[in-house]
Amino acid sequence: MKTTLLKTESIEVCYGIIPAVRDLSLEVREGQIVALIGANGAGKSTTLKALAGVLYPRKGKIFYKEKEITRLSADRRVPLGITLVPEGRQLFSTLTTKENLRLGAYYFTEPEFKEELEWIYSLFPILKERENQIAGTLSGGEQQMLAFGRAIISKPQMLLLDEPSLGLAPLIIKEVYKIITKIKSTGITIILVEQNIKMAMRVTDYMYLMEAGEITIQGEPLKVMKDEDIKKAYLG
Amino acid sequence: MVFSASYIFQQIFNGIVLGSIYALLALGMAVIYGILGLINFAHGALITVGAFCFYFLFSVYHWPFILVIILSVALGGLMGFVLEAIGYRKLRGGPGVSLLITSLGIYIFIENAVKLLVSPQPYAFSMPPFLDKIVSTFITFRLIDLFIIATTITIMICFGVFVKRNKVGIAMRGISESVETARMVGINVNQVIVWSFIVASAIAALTGFMWGSKYGQIAYDMGFMPGVIAFVSIVIGGIGSIPGAVLGGFLIGLIQTFSIGFLPPGWTIYRDAIVFALLIIVLLIKPTGIMGRKESI
Amino acid sequence: MKMICSDGRLTIFKIWMPFIVGLGVLFLILGVCNIIVDNYTLHIITVIGIYIISATSLNLTNGYTGLFSLGHAGFMAIGAYSSVLLTYKVSLRGAYNLPLLPVILGGPDFQWPFLPALITGGILAAIAAIIVGFPVLRLRGHYLAVASLGFMIIVTTLAKGMRFLTRGASGIQVIPHYTNIWNVYTWLAITIFVIWRILQSAPGRAMLAIRESEVSAQSQGINLMKYKLYSFVTGAFFAGIAGGLYAHFARSIRPYEFSFFMTFFIVMMPIIGGSRNIFGPALGAILLITIRYALKPVEEGLGIYGLVELIYAALLIAIMLWRPGGILSRKSDSS
Repeated sequence: MKTTLLKTESIEVCYGIIPAVRDLSLEVREGQIVALIGANGAGKSTTLKALAGVLYPRKGKIFYKEKEITRLSADRRVPLGITLVPEGRQLFSTLTTKENLRLGAYYFTEPEFKEELEWIYSLFPILKERENQIAGTLSGGEQQMLAFGRAIISKPQMLLLDEPSLGLAPLIIKEVYKIITKIKSTGITIILVEQNIKMAMRVTDYMYLMEAGEITIQGEPLKVMKDEDIKKAYLG
Repeated sequence: MVFSASYIFQQIFNGIVLGSIYALLALGMAVIYGILGLINFAHGALITVGAFCFYFLFSVYHWPFILVIILSVALGGLMGFVLEAIGYRKLRGGPGVSLLITSLGIYIFIENAVKLLVSPQPYAFSMPPFLDKIVSTFITFRLIDLFIIATTITIMICFGVFVKRNKVGIAMRGISESVETARMVGINVNQVIVWSFIVASAIAALTGFMWGSKYGQIAYDMGFMPGVIAFVSIVIGGIGSIPGAVLGGFLIGLIQTFSIGFLPPGWTIYRDAIVFALLIIVLLIKPTGIMGRKESI
Repeated sequence: MKMICSDGRLTIFKIWMPFIVGLGVLFLILGVCNIIVDNYTLHIITVIGIYIISATSLNLTNGYTGLFSLGHAGFMAIGAYSSVLLTYKVSLRGAYNLPLLPVILGGPDFQWPFLPALITGGILAAIAAIIVGFPVLRLRGHYLAVASLGFMIIVTTLAKGMRFLTRGASGIQVIPHYTNIWNVYTWLAITIFVIWRILQSAPGRAMLAIRESEVSAQSQGINLMKYKLYSFVTGAFFAGIAGGLYAHFARSIRPYEFSFFMTFFIVMMPIIGGSRNIFGPALGAILLITIRYALKPVEEGLGIYGLVELIYAALLIAIMLWRPGGILSRKSDSS
């Protein structure tokens, strides 16, 4: 039985005074891909941001490898092995591809960085071609790859992906999910937030369906999708 | 009025020397502005501190030149560290005007601390004799002028390499684009900010020595105008652009020198006003400055 | 004091009564002071009054509209020099190299009485504010600060340069002593009253909205430039008045007095006293000037020049760090 990597206990996350996420408890095992799915505004992104340390829960606790990280800031979670690819990617658009990657591996020394850089280039050959190009001028798909690359170059244990398919053409989305599967095969645990349930279902081991800030259904994809209501609501 | 070729070149040279000093100040200020969005008016005070530190250690206690330079620069860096920790860190992320006001307050504090602890009267400033040597060729200058230009170029080059190759330098550029993203990626933003402050302040202290050498005199209020001009350089050269700031510094150095060198004698007092008039013109025509990036004014 | 009227109707009671009563109380106090207090203290009280006028008018622009202007001393300079050039004794003009008035302003034998000259000074400052305001008020934050600082430097440089008009750097001396505690405090009452009324009215609300968020204000249909100018020009007018009062009190003015430090001195008053309260600037003025007069003798006695400014700066930094809204503010206010 794989160990629990991350666990939340009844967290409540607010935007201002409005709770966006209520009483949320979830668990992620090592090596899994876990998906948070649901419609817009369900609270999935908010949850992910709390896991990443971009937001802090007002109530509840978050545990990573048995240690509490609830109030740890984002930059202190990265060295622990938690990285985030946020919605909209948030690249450093005025820096080059290589520079973006350098910052993803900030705590590495130059030689360490060079090694991991080769690894990233092997996963995403196009990035090597675009090595010295300013990130803001890359295409949508290339930017997504760079965002991934930047997040995994530090060989994190847990990768948080916020709507990786957002704003991308269907062909590119397929590529992106191929990459997600590739990343999983390197042993990285992934928590995925997606509105595109069809794609998410194909890769995940476990799903949490969120509605109005709470988890309504959870389980393995096939089980969850057997529910007739779900099928109708989300798969059309 | 016809000016001889050597006179014109003399003015250009002098303008470049003055411009170098302004460019160094503008560089430091632009770096801090880039990562903090703060116009650090206290920057000017560090000029004064560096100059007086040099004066006391070198001219009064007669310590060796190199040592004194290093110590003065180190003092500047230390003060930068202290200012950041005490004055600015708490106000980060707040309204920009608060930081501005506080930095002005810090400037006034330091200026008057110097006035009080040292003297309200100006002191004559002397540099090591080997830099004081006059060279007379086509144009006339002292070795200190070459020192100033050489140091400026060296610092510029080092800085340029640093922000392209070194991870902290790249982090600085990343932070100046988006602090949030930098944190998300795991960069220890605090550390980078502190180091930027230390380095920028150290450079400012060095310019204190340069300024004192050039004008032969130091006073408690010597840092005010250069500090303001550094800001004007940044605006004219282009907000958000370090090369722009440097360019602005050189430009203003040349303009000020020319206005003294080429305008009729009665116009000399307009030296500073001309700079501000230029500033207002630039703000009207191209608010983002000559090499400016997209930033809302 | 509530800044916004809860009902739209203006009643005599709400506005004029407090003003008249306040004025009466003020003059009563001044009358008493005049009798029991010595001349030196009266002198200080007058100076405080002049600075309150300046600080309160500055606060309209800086505090209430959120436009951080560093040019106030420039407006004071314009007011000072204009009113002096108008009121200067004819018989002394030749001796002091000051021009005689041109025919349209009364001719070579004429010197203006105080009140019209003072108001003219204020109006000229206001006109300067309109001219400078258009380019400068489009800017925000530090740009506005430095541009307005630049304006002030340009004004003082012109004052130094236009020797035929202003006697250059040596300044003008032997100015008729028209200012006394009564006209200063009358103008003070007028200033506070006018600014208070502005803040209660629609333009005032627009200014507050602009301070909170220019974008939101615009989306509510507020013409930014119009109200920024309104506040800037009003501030400048009263600064000009303060400048004129100052000149005819100190009896001598020089360009370097209207420097950055004077502006900053005035800027500090509402920040320290409270930038969201109509009496905040007054408190700041009283505090800072009292400190100055109390400590200047110490400075001179011990030879420690710079002490007063040092204390000012320390006070300012302390306020910024721990009570950004100023003394008369709630802890939660930002500056």
